[in-house]
Amino acid sequence: MSENTKALELSELDKKLASKNRNSKKNFGIVLDASKCIGCKACTVACKMENYVPLGLENYRIWVTEDTQSPRFPTIRRSFQPSQCQHCENTPCASVCPTHATYKTKEGVVLVDYDKCVLCKACMTACPYDARFVDDHLEAVEKCTMCYHRLPERDPACVETCPSKVRVFGDLNDPESEVSKLLAKNSYYRLKPAVNTRPRLFYID
Amino acid sequence: MTTHTERAPSLASKTLTTSLIILGLILLAIGGYASLQVLLKGHEAVYAVNREVPWGLLIATYAYFVITSTGLAFIGGLGHAFGFEKYSKMSKRIVVMAFVILLAGFTQIGMEIGHPIRLMMYLIVSPNLNAPIVWMGVFYGIELIILAIELYIIFKPEQKESDHNTAKIVGFFALLVGVLATSNLGYVFGSLNARPFYHGVYFSIFLVISGITAGAALLLAIHNIIYKFNVPENLHSSMKALGKLMGAGIGVMMFLYLWKILSSVYTQPGDSYLAAKALLWGPLRTNFWVGELGLAVILPLMIIVLTKSSNMKALGVAGIIFMIGLFFTRYDFIVAGQFPPMREGLPGSGVHTVNGLAQYAPSATEWMIFALGWGVFLVLYFLAERFLILDTKEH
Repeated sequence: MSENTKALELSELDKKLASKNRNSKKNFGIVLDASKCIGCKACTVACKMENYVPLGLENYRIWVTEDTQSPRFPTIRRSFQPSQCQHCENTPCASVCPTHATYKTKEGVVLVDYDKCVLCKACMTACPYDARFVDDHLEAVEKCTMCYHRLPERDPACVETCPSKVRVFGDLNDPESEVSKLLAKNSYYRLKPAVNTRPRLFYID
Repeated sequence: MTTHTERAPSLASKTLTTSLIILGLILLAIGGYASLQVLLKGHEAVYAVNREVPWGLLIATYAYFVITSTGLAFIGGLGHAFGFEKYSKMSKRIVVMAFVILLAGFTQIGMEIGHPIRLMMYLIVSPNLNAPIVWMGVFYGIELIILAIELYIIFKPEQKESDHNTAKIVGFFALLVGVLATSNLGYVFGSLNARPFYHGVYFSIFLVISGITAGAALLLAIHNIIYKFNVPENLHSSMKALGKLMGAGIGVMMFLYLWKILSSVYTQPGDSYLAAKALLWGPLRTNFWVGELGLAVILPLMIIVLTKSSNMKALGVAGIIFMIGLFFTRYDFIVAGQFPPMREGLPGSGVHTVNGLAQYAPSATEWMIFALGWGVFLVLYFLAERFLILDTKEH
């Protein structure tokens, strides 16, 4: 079976799961502690393998940006900011999508129905995080799905594979979940608050 | 009363129209070859648009053609519905030109969108009414139908008084829907909160104004070409009126430019500033200063002012220069808004920037698709000139 077919099967599975979970009370989110990131990029590889993301410089769902560098001894420091689609509550990519190809599950995960994508690329211009790209194998725009097909039994691939546990995935509506406890205990920020997208990815300060 | 059906011998020579049709056919062949490449190899393989700049030349050329069409429909509407006699003297050419150039625009968006047929299907099955692109499809679709009805009315063999009244109503709707379509096209960009240079009401206004100006410019240019720069006396008053309209349009465009650029520069170091920087002294500087300002503002305005909009040949030259400059206007606006990257081009980010700006230059195939648009316009329009009577004798 080709990688392409597998990717399409995942999209179909996501659609079925989203429909099955339409009454879900869960609210998924990811809390990231970027200070733990060692820049190994295992998350980017795991994402590609899990989701059959094709090779190519522009074909990536998640990324690890090298944020700051201080090359002088003794203050040598490198920091990283891993990121991906922010699965915004206020979803500009879905608002501009003419065919409802981009949709949001009850749990807040933003997904793409490849069969409905017309490749107008309006979502790419609307996304303030540059989280989307054209997959020329699928002939559709694609992005991070939070590995929706694995949820909730297994964590997303990027979360599972991280050696230093940068990402924690969970239900933001459950006060006993690890994500809720982390957010209650720490101060945090979200990316680009000025554009009022209200991301579901939270960065611990 | 309008006597659209009066037969008047067109002054356009057969040699000229045939030559322009042949030129159009050559451009169609070039565009056809490029279309085949797109269909066989896929958009990603032959277009230069990328992750950071997903909308490129073909969106610009789509805007170039369709906004000119709605500008023409606006001028036609002024003539038909609001009694501007000087414009109604050209009503046949206006309607034919508006219809044909709208079709040229559709070729551009058809080749830009990955799945145009799927788009039409889902616009009916599950349209997202919040999406500006849906309304763009709706308004431009209606505009095409209205222009088709206008075409039918003006070429109907036996004209009645009631046809004139129908033409008035249809002309009014062509004007109204045209303005809605163009301002909504501005909203496709203006709704993008992520792109501060686009965001807001500016482009809705600018596109309408520059579209009407383009309509006037194209009419001035085509009339001069058709009559070999010897426009007949009976059209002089219409040409002068179009020259004044074009001059006023450029004046308003200058006013809009001034405040858009100044307000963008003042957002330093924000994305609007970066877009303005790209235009003023960045990678788009030649396009902006020479193409956009030189050809679409300064030169045509100088010609119109210095000749007091009364020299027909000069008006034709101004129209041609403006239409060339307008290409840069459309291209710059589409590209500049996307040059500020959504993420910094730091190591590991995957974002490719040079001097803090994303990069894009159209591919050969994209240019060839632009040729397809011109091919459609030249072939269809000059076939109409060749085989139909487009002179509207009296009003």
